[in-house]
Amino acid sequence: MIATIILVLVALLALLSLLWLARGRSLAAALEHPAEHIRAVDVDAFRNLIDPDEEEFLRTSLPPAEFRRIQRERLRAAVEYVSCAAQNAAILLRLADAGRRSSDPATAQAAEKLVDNAIRIRLYASLAIPRLYLGMILPGAHISPVRVAESYEQMTRLVVLLGCLQYPTRGVSAAL
Amino acid sequence: MVLFLKILWYYLWIAPHILLGIILFVMAQRRLLRSFPIFFLYTAVEVLQFAVLFGIFLSDRHFGGDYERLFSGGMAVSSALRFGVVYEVFSHLFADYPALTETGKMLFRGVTILLLLACIAVAVIVPGKSIDLLMLATNTLDRTVSFLQCGLLLSVFIFSGYFALSLRSQAFGIALGLGTYASVQMATSAVLLYVGSTTNRLPNFVTMAAYHCCVLIWLWYLMMPERKPKYPSKALPEYDLEIWNQELQRMLQR
Repeated sequence: MIATIILVLVALLALLSLLWLARGRSLAAALEHPAEHIRAVDVDAFRNLIDPDEEEFLRTSLPPAEFRRIQRERLRAAVEYVSCAAQNAAILLRLADAGRRSSDPATAQAAEKLVDNAIRIRLYASLAIPRLYLGMILPGAHISPVRVAESYEQMTRLVVLLGCLQYPTRGVSAAL
Repeated sequence: MVLFLKILWYYLWIAPHILLGIILFVMAQRRLLRSFPIFFLYTAVEVLQFAVLFGIFLSDRHFGGDYERLFSGGMAVSSALRFGVVYEVFSHLFADYPALTETGKMLFRGVTILLLLACIAVAVIVPGKSIDLLMLATNTLDRTVSFLQCGLLLSVFIFSGYFALSLRSQAFGIALGLGTYASVQMATSAVLLYVGSTTNRLPNFVTMAAYHCCVLIWLWYLMMPERKPKYPSKALPEYDLEIWNQELQRMLQR
């Protein structure tokens, strides 16, 4: 009896999630001025937050408890930065998606590049955020591939390699 | 059965299949057959199956085993074709985004394996009961298939939502309709397996009503003109996507 009730509840939850996600898609598509929703994100500040030298400096100059607290704060901020960049990528992707259908070949090509870049950011963000959260759980440990998640890192490298193989000629985007 | 319920029963049985016939016509007229061949085949099979089953129902063979056997066989064929439809939706989603083709394939396989394991667990934990072995097998298959399809379609929506991918209106409608039906069918088949009777009216009514909604969703999205996304009149905003890509790659490779 309980198992059946659980199954029915799972089905109801799936139905509601489906309708909610479908509604979200319609609302996102109807966004009036998507470009206005883009928020500026400071890349240099992000670099500083994930800089291993900076982390090492903090580790040696602060007491362990204080270092862990600060490191957690830094990684939380890094998660915010990545999330914001991924959000911007989603907005740009939507804009560029429309541009791909342009009759002007240059616009279509630029939009295509933008779509690829935006997708790659979303993909990397989905891998980077769990890694940053792992760093928040274990702030004292080095988040290195060997010591923490060898298989995870291997998978990440494969994704990066796959991107490089699929787009070997892609340098700095001319569209940007 | 009360007259009203009887009329409702016939309506919920006949109307969706008439609408499916209209869908076939619309698809042929709008040349959607090339884009969605499996969905077209599925729709045609559903209409044919209805014609045969309704014919048997009206004849004196209704009370024999023919109806049950054909019903179960038809359901197995429909279930297999619905998997094809789900795959078709997946293909449409990734066709426009070559950067995600491999990831998409990995996702489809991964989610299918996970859902299959979950289905096996459910089948072991909640085996179901019925005197009729054929109907027990049919309902178990029904529950398993709807569980799998519901999970797969949910993953399509989550994935396309996360990557902000635009699914063509028709593919979106097909996914939404099928997902709605699969989730309701999952609940009703679980109840039918627990109750152990296929003559229980309420779950059957709910399933039939859900199928009607599903067909209406399909018809709406297939008849609607494809909505083209608007390209901004101004130039695309400057944004340092490439630098962010490099930074995230560097972070992940560290």
